[in-house]
Amino acid sequence: MATVQQAVIDFHRYPPIGTDDWRYGFATGKIRCLETTMLSRATLLDLANAESFSAAMDLLSSTEYSAGGAVESFAQIEELLLQRRHELRTLFIALMQDPELVELLRARHDFANMRLAIRRVVTDRPIGLDYSDFGSVPAEEFEEAFEQENYSRFPMYLQEAIEEAVLAYYENKDIRSVDYAIDRCEAKYRIRTSEELGSVFLLSFYRVRIDLTNIRTLLRLKAAERDERDLFLPGGFVEIERLVHGLDLGYEGLAPLFFATPYYEVVEGGVAYFTTEQSFLRLERLCEEYLFGFLRTTRSITAGPQPIIAYLLLKENEIRMVRMLLSAKNNGMDAKLILDRLGE
Amino acid sequence: MGIALLGAALAAFMAGIGSAVGIGIAGRSATGVLSEKPERYGQLFLQVVLPGTQGFYGFVIAFLAMGKIYSFTTLDISNALAIFASCLPVAFAGMLSAIHQGKTCAAGILMTAKRPEMAVKAGVLYAAMVEVYAVLGFLISLLIQMKIEAA
Repeated sequence: MATVQQAVIDFHRYPPIGTDDWRYGFATGKIRCLETTMLSRATLLDLANAESFSAAMDLLSSTEYSAGGAVESFAQIEELLLQRRHELRTLFIALMQDPELVELLRARHDFANMRLAIRRVVTDRPIGLDYSDFGSVPAEEFEEAFEQENYSRFPMYLQEAIEEAVLAYYENKDIRSVDYAIDRCEAKYRIRTSEELGSVFLLSFYRVRIDLTNIRTLLRLKAAERDERDLFLPGGFVEIERLVHGLDLGYEGLAPLFFATPYYEVVEGGVAYFTTEQSFLRLERLCEEYLFGFLRTTRSITAGPQPIIAYLLLKENEIRMVRMLLSAKNNGMDAKLILDRLGE
Repeated sequence: MGIALLGAALAAFMAGIGSAVGIGIAGRSATGVLSEKPERYGQLFLQVVLPGTQGFYGFVIAFLAMGKIYSFTTLDISNALAIFASCLPVAFAGMLSAIHQGKTCAAGILMTAKRPEMAVKAGVLYAAMVEVYAVLGFLISLLIQMKIEAA
């Protein structure tokens, strides 16, 4: 775990992404072509500014999101987007040559499913069937496993997380404890597995995500005037001491605190917006931009799993954005509100 | 005679391996692009075959070396070593440059997928820069062989 404990940031803007892996020549070639079909920022802005839902659909008519005719209900769009997401994930699995990396990426769905199931269990609600089907554990098994309290069919990392989350909940009966415990287990699992697999890219990616989560936590704790100091996730590039110290500073002291880190602009912009608008929107947007900026550095890789993973994550985000924009248009939401969400 | 024949074998063998690996690398990238954009076949073809030239250089030098070997009635150790040495530049420069050219071509192919107008300007030209060093190796091998006089 030497890499995890190392807190020195020895990169300027984005952490290292590893080197080429020539087994992925075909996959990378295919992905580079598919990248050209992704929606541009200008298209997303046009969608946000579209006069109506049908005008927005017209804008998408030459893309893969075209409904191919009149849209009778929004459920049709939901179905289309689910299909696109399913195709994307199927393609991802087909292109990846390392099943271990696929499993690591699929684990996020397992953790999300488990979070949902545990929250329902501890709040005495029905377990339900509406789980993501992209995880390593089949969605239909969640209901049965939790009803029978038999978790042996889950991978070890999920069993550990279930145990810690349930214990954390019964310690103080606070539903947020479930999330904190699962976040901690998930972060630990991701870092440990990335290191074991020797994936420089995924290790950097997960460490950046931990940092961004910690920065969000820091600002939210300050906003809520809470003083919990053990909520920061270990394993990021930024030391936990720096984040804890941030709790003792005023808002004006936060940006300088991160001056020597690559997250200075994220914190500065996010805090400035929060202090004037009392909203985390800008911080969320800047965190997202930083993460996607990191993913885009995989353009320098000629062959490797990095561009394929980056494409999966960017494309999933694109599908989310299209859903959000079309849903907003369908509900007649004001363009200014939508643009605000887009960070414009 | 054995050492001279070994040189000829190395020239064909090493440059050939380099070309095979180089074409393999470029070919995989090209097929990935063609699976989505088959209309780019013409633009990509040159970039895929470029790393193949080193194999030909090696073959030509090996062929000339064998001709030289059999032109001697009795091949002494000094001439045998000279023939062996003449094969080394194309063998090493060919193998290494073909592999690196394959990687350069693969990068050019990926760029062509996004910016087809740059296929020749950057994709082919950058790969041709790598080719220069294979050509230099080939020329040195050729010049050395020309200096070896048959007895």
